[in-house]
Amino acid sequence: MILVDKHTKVVVQGATGKMGAAHTKRMLDYGTNIVAGVTPGKGGEKIHNVPVFDTVMEAVKTTGATCSVIFVPPYLALDAGYEALDAGISLLVLITEGIPPQDTAKLAAAVKAKGAKLIGPNCPGIITPGQSLIGILPGSIFKSGPVGMVSKSGTLTYEIALALTESGYGQSTCVGTGGDPIKGLDYQEVLSMFEHDPATEVIVMIGEIGGNAEEEAAAFIKKNVKKPVIGYIAGQTAPPGKRMGHAGAIISGGKGTAESKLEAFKANGVRVAMTPGEVAKQVAEAIKQPAKA
Amino acid sequence: MNLYEYEAKRIFEAGGIPVPPAVRITKPEELAKVHFGYPLTLKCQVMSGGRGKAGGIKFAKDLEEGKALAKDLLQLVIKGSKTESLLVEPMVSIAKELYLAVTLDRERGCPIFIASAEGGIEIESSHNVLTEPIPFPYHPYVGRNLAAKLGLKGAVMAKVADLANKLYKVFESKDLDLAEINPLVITKGDDVLALDGKIIINDDSIGRQPAFKGWMEAHLVDMSPRERRAKLTDLNLVELDGNIGILCNGAGLTMATMDMVKAFGGQPGNFLDAGGGSDQKKTLAALELVNENPAVDVILLNILGGITACDEVAGALVEFMKKYPERQMVVRLRGNNQDVAEKMLAASGLKLYPDLEEAVKEAVSRSKNATKKPALAAKA
Repeated sequence: MILVDKHTKVVVQGATGKMGAAHTKRMLDYGTNIVAGVTPGKGGEKIHNVPVFDTVMEAVKTTGATCSVIFVPPYLALDAGYEALDAGISLLVLITEGIPPQDTAKLAAAVKAKGAKLIGPNCPGIITPGQSLIGILPGSIFKSGPVGMVSKSGTLTYEIALALTESGYGQSTCVGTGGDPIKGLDYQEVLSMFEHDPATEVIVMIGEIGGNAEEEAAAFIKKNVKKPVIGYIAGQTAPPGKRMGHAGAIISGGKGTAESKLEAFKANGVRVAMTPGEVAKQVAEAIKQPAKA
Repeated sequence: MNLYEYEAKRIFEAGGIPVPPAVRITKPEELAKVHFGYPLTLKCQVMSGGRGKAGGIKFAKDLEEGKALAKDLLQLVIKGSKTESLLVEPMVSIAKELYLAVTLDRERGCPIFIASAEGGIEIESSHNVLTEPIPFPYHPYVGRNLAAKLGLKGAVMAKVADLANKLYKVFESKDLDLAEINPLVITKGDDVLALDGKIIINDDSIGRQPAFKGWMEAHLVDMSPRERRAKLTDLNLVELDGNIGILCNGAGLTMATMDMVKAFGGQPGNFLDAGGGSDQKKTLAALELVNENPAVDVILLNILGGITACDEVAGALVEFMKKYPERQMVVRLRGNNQDVAEKMLAASGLKLYPDLEEAVKEAVSRSKNATKKPALAAKA
């Protein structure tokens, strides 16, 4: 497993909002070690039996939380992120969609300067099945096992995790890095953690059209990753020039095509799956034959 | 949101960036009110690029010629984009043309300056382009470094540095995705001037930019009417040529479903990502949008509930099927609150497909058997 386990103490920023409250409940039900909620002005209250604090600083001081999952509205996210960093939080999981990208760029720079880590924004979060679910992922479709997953997409991650689970292959940790063009953790950082994680035997990397992160990750894999990696790219039939849902998912000026990414996968020893269902088949083969194809 | 040149220049001007004097006209007669003196430049206000090459910029030597040119230019359609108005400016004596822009670099994860000593060019095909990462917090030395790297000296160097600093301030304070000046002109009198400008406002930031409130509708000009409506209701719709209407939650899943439809021999009629956390009302609006496309024979709904709750989707489905009982539907619904959703849908007789591949195959097969008939009307 990487980044989070059952001991990870989590504070929820925006815990008393509609989304925050609903997912605090889900995370608690899953067994996540939620130690605090934060909503300015609601300090002293409780949400699903979890103490609520006015500030992250107080929450960290009282509970020793090291991870914050952030559900605040988009224009408050930068402030919430800075607050978490300043309070000493080392892992920020930013679920919020629609954050101005210049805010994200500022937060990502601050996170880097502090040596902390940011997952997201516009992401489903992270799960180490059976131990900790931090974010909005549906816990029931994941189970513990040898597959490490990293993905830009939320629901597509669920799709592929479901197929893996139903085929008998559980997951070590699944990280949804988010669909925005500017973000925190990238593929390389997560791939590197999976490479060094004893619980991970096979890595699944889910990409989509737009940008060149997949191409860079493929080159990184060739040099630095010995474990088998299965790659899938969404948007193989997307028309150019159209934003396909995610702010980052657009083929512009002939760049960011699925072909380019799949070519980079093939050229760098990443095993390519053409459909979500094929990912599970490729994982089965990779577990039988872990040597790089 | 893309802005027209005249709007971009007003924003630049308000940010202290020098622009030529200009008058915007929508009728040829309005040219009589322009008192800059001839010759004048007449420029079509369109969203598409390549305006100059397409004949969208003309020079008039007197009022008579100006009116005749304006009449033609106002009717010009450039790459499918209609001319909204004309921008009329005096001709400028140009000593040198530069290129200057600020945008976000997704690879570096920070804003960057893009600059070139060869302006007026197609920046993507030029080899003499500088990209300079912009640090947080911003300091004016960044603009000076940039101007120096462009090989500028003396008063012009200082003026371009100052302009670059102002351009970044505009970019940051207005939440832009792109602030571009091309060409940035150095006149024969050593003044700097933004001769043409392009601004893209970040869509997610419009809510905190009161100056742009209500602008979206007038600026969605390169979309179909349904795509516009989707955009204004915060749904992501891209219309395609086929007859399978695809509706999912989440961009990646929608793309993957679209790819699978194609891989199994079907033709997607649209891509519709209802986004995360759509409730019953929004899901119903999404269903209506797909349903309204007359080319669609089958709707393929694929929902994996995380932040979206399956019961909200089921509520929308129940309502939709009451309204359009004849509509061919293939539905897959899994994830959070799936059990509640299944109970809600049990009475409807709607078959749920737990497996994505089976759902896609079913939708493709139904799309091939569909007999062409007029768009389904709502039940009276």
